[in-house]
Amino acid sequence: MKNKFLSLLSAVLVIVLGLTLCSVAPVAAEEAKTEIVFWHSMGGVNGEAIDALVKKYNEENDKNIHVTTEFQGSYDDAINKLKSASIGNMAADLVQVYDIGTRFMIDSGWVIPMQDLIDRYEYDVSQIEPNIAAYYTVDKKLYSMPFNSSTPILYYNKDILDKAGIKEAPKSFAEIASTAKDLCEKGGAGEPISLSIYGWFFEQFLCKQGLDYVDNGNGREGKASKVVFDENGGALNILKAWKDLHDQGYAPVVGRVDAGIADFVAGKSAFTIASTASLKEILENVDKRFEVGTAYLPSVTDKTDGGVSIGGASLWALNNEDEAKEKAVWDFISFLISPASQAYWNAQTGYFPITVKAHEEDVFKENIKEFPQFMTAIDQLHDSSPESQGALISVFPEARQIIEGEIENMLNNNIDPEKVLNTMAEKINKAIEEYNLLNK
Amino acid sequence: MRTWKRVSAYFFVLPCLALFGVFLFYPFAKTIYLSLYKTNNLGQAQIYVGLDNYREVLQSASFHNSLKVTLIFVFIVVLVSMLMGLFNALLCQKSFPGIRFFSTAYALPMSIASASAAMIFRLMLDPTIGIVNKLLGLNISWIQNPHYALLSVALLTAWLNSGINFLYFSAGLTTIDETLYERASVDGANEWQKLFRITLPSLRPILFYTLVVNIILAFQSFGQVKILTSGGPGESTNLIVFSIYRNAFFNFRFGTAATESVILFFIIFILTLLMFRSENKNNSPKKESK
Repeated sequence: MKNKFLSLLSAVLVIVLGLTLCSVAPVAAEEAKTEIVFWHSMGGVNGEAIDALVKKYNEENDKNIHVTTEFQGSYDDAINKLKSASIGNMAADLVQVYDIGTRFMIDSGWVIPMQDLIDRYEYDVSQIEPNIAAYYTVDKKLYSMPFNSSTPILYYNKDILDKAGIKEAPKSFAEIASTAKDLCEKGGAGEPISLSIYGWFFEQFLCKQGLDYVDNGNGREGKASKVVFDENGGALNILKAWKDLHDQGYAPVVGRVDAGIADFVAGKSAFTIASTASLKEILENVDKRFEVGTAYLPSVTDKTDGGVSIGGASLWALNNEDEAKEKAVWDFISFLISPASQAYWNAQTGYFPITVKAHEEDVFKENIKEFPQFMTAIDQLHDSSPESQGALISVFPEARQIIEGEIENMLNNNIDPEKVLNTMAEKINKAIEEYNLLNK
Repeated sequence: MRTWKRVSAYFFVLPCLALFGVFLFYPFAKTIYLSLYKTNNLGQAQIYVGLDNYREVLQSASFHNSLKVTLIFVFIVVLVSMLMGLFNALLCQKSFPGIRFFSTAYALPMSIASASAAMIFRLMLDPTIGIVNKLLGLNISWIQNPHYALLSVALLTAWLNSGINFLYFSAGLTTIDETLYERASVDGANEWQKLFRITLPSLRPILFYTLVVNIILAFQSFGQVKILTSGGPGESTNLIVFSIYRNAFFNFRFGTAATESVILFFIIFILTLLMFRSENKNNSPKKESK
């Protein structure tokens, strides 16, 4: 009995040791090579584009750098996985984080600010679209490298608009309402607009009015301590306009985030609001059954001169206290933001090219020729001022959920916009307060 | 030799105990610990608050809603999935040509991941392009309307769970002595009488087991909620498990999430205990008569 037990034990030991050796061996063999790990959250077509870019980089770079990409699921998942790591021993060297994780990343202390790398390796920042760079610039420091950026735009079914005799795309919710009858009766639309309930749109409608979301310079001069969209009246304008449109039957509840796209693609709704990054997908799915037009994001008030801020994600260099890796990371980033890479990225995905010079690339020009609708997005971005760069809030993911849930409540249960606004502000303020108390 | 035999027994339990310790006991203890603290965005305990988290959760309107929604959800899921499993098992009780096809079809939901089933249902339930509205000739936003969202998710879950119930009941049915039915036939019993006097009483032990497992399973449903509704619209499908997920991995409030987990544990624990007690009570007179 004793012998049996011992032999079993030793067998287990041998297996365990063997496994450890196996995993250590290959790393030791290739010392000269710099290996960096890149975490991203791009699935589907966009993920394929990333893989193609990385493959090109691995084959072409002459510095013996090898980049391994690891798809981490959603943006939320990637941030959660980062939380279990610690400085000097992060599981990744470069990670793609969504716009609303910006404050969290700055506060985390895990990162090498992109500005440090830019200064050290003398990169000319003026090459980056100023309106995009503005979003990720805090205290005059560019914290992360913009990579996939998008803005919301209005998509319209030109066939329906033509039949209804409407020449120009609406600029405001009021204009949508005034044309709604014609769209349904003459144009044959099932519903005027399939408007998804998305916290991002709420933020953009605020931006469009030129108003702040939170205090302390929209969370950019210091940590936000409370929301101000209730005091400045911006949110009430949005909720009222949204509810009006809904109550008149022009904007039925279709679901959250990108749920409105389905009705638009099916030819049921005349309008939908969606990210520019959805352009390619929408065009492919519509498949020339009708003509798709694009216009600026409509405003909830009659004031239509405000801008939009960008959404999407950026690249964060993580501090692994390893100079060789840091150098490699910068080399890889400068490849990703080169005009050629950006033009390719734009054509494959529909995200903005973040470098101005990408506009001169042939790939970009051909893409614009094929999809002229994309020009709307670029014009809209250029027409916005860098001041409308959007808020930074640590509890942004939660705030969005609260906004979406409360808008649903308002529309489904016919609740007063004022009351909904109070609940929103109360809930978000409580979340901000608790976060600031616990994370100093 | 004898003492060694005794001691060695513990070594055999050790691997199992180690696994339980790492994956069950430690997380459980840690959950209770975290539920007494407020945590920072990394999930580290920061401020000791004692039972404040419990007070807060038990008083919050959102948690009351989660509790209510979860109970309705569990009720629908358990009722429908058990009836479905039982009905299908009864259909397949007697052999007939093609029985293999049917029994495979009825057991199939067992092998479908909740996430992929939810993705498919999302397409099927789409108000504009979904097949459900087309077939029924209705125009209902199944997942976007707060009146139907919970029902939709519950029915999907019931269907998913019906596969394993079918299997349990089929196994139970094979243990019933065939001669019982023959004798009943001789006595002139009709099919309904056979069902209520022979089949169901014989299935009692397995019915009870299935009920307990189903209730626990239903309480823990997560994937389909996340994919179909994300707790919405409003909070109409914000089940306790989903609320835990949202608080922990979305709102950075691990303390609150841990508190909700502990409360959920006690709910399931008490329910299971009650069921076992009532089962024992029902059984005891029989034992005495023997």
